[in-house]
Amino acid sequence: MRYFKWGIVILLALLTFGFFHYTLPQHDVVRIVDTEVRRVDFGENSIFWASPDTGTDTAANRDVRFINAVYENGRVMVYRNEDTGWGWPPYFKLDSSNLQTEARDLASTSAAPRWVVIRHYGWRNEFMTIYPNAVSVRGVAGPDVQIIPWLNIIILTLLVLFIFWLWRVWRRFKERRIDPVLDEAAEAWDSVDERADAVRDRARGFWGRMMAWVGTWRSKPRE
Amino acid sequence: MFFQIARLAFFGFIVLTVLYVILSWYSRSIRRGKLETAFDEEVKTGDRDAFIKEGLARYDRSLRRKLILGVYVVPVIVVAALIYVTNFM
Repeated sequence: MRYFKWGIVILLALLTFGFFHYTLPQHDVVRIVDTEVRRVDFGENSIFWASPDTGTDTAANRDVRFINAVYENGRVMVYRNEDTGWGWPPYFKLDSSNLQTEARDLASTSAAPRWVVIRHYGWRNEFMTIYPNAVSVRGVAGPDVQIIPWLNIIILTLLVLFIFWLWRVWRRFKERRIDPVLDEAAEAWDSVDERADAVRDRARGFWGRMMAWVGTWRSKPRE
Repeated sequence: MFFQIARLAFFGFIVLTVLYVILSWYSRSIRRGKLETAFDEEVKTGDRDAFIKEGLARYDRSLRRKLILGVYVVPVIVVAALIYVTNFM
């Protein structure tokens, strides 16, 4: 039972961490090598794709823009570039075409690299064929810029404060509405208990009287 | 596009209403607690229930209570700001 409980707790913690790790923005310093558009048929991985361009129709498959990039250490990353529109996650990104143009404009070769910061959310996974979604791109001086994730700091702080507040509201509610009822119930239970004791005493008295009465039938020892 | 906006508005409204109800209940109970302490420590004479009832009625008319409606206003401003920052900056 204890293992089961801890299993549930760990599972919930992992899910929460995964949710925020997927949804919150992250920054990569990369060099853009190419941009492309290709047709994607969504399958089991459809949950990891956002929405078609806002205002256009939804279909089972569509063209998706991609940005191909290389890290400073030579590893590669491929971003998709999709509108999130009015849905989840709430980036309200409507300008994928513009972003694609900016990315194309910042593309460079390894001989003359131009470093950019790509803000994105999501994961790259080769087994599921999923890509992080690029949200914005801007040029930086070099590959070793320091980026402070202010938005994540603010959001996570607010989240912790909100959870703490909910906990306080719950405690207050419990103190004012639930504990009195429980106390009343406990009192009621005590009085039931007392009454039961009294009844048992009286019963014993009654039984005792009964036996005494029965006892009067017994033959008395002859004198 | 309008369907998506309507859907966002619909679910947003539900979530924010839940938040609004919790927040106003919490704020009112805080006010009640303050009134109770004020009566027990300062006023001490007269009808305790009437004192609290009157204080809460004054609270219901106050600006502070109407500020809780900001629960509906602030997210709309945040969304508008997000749209601007993400797409047009």
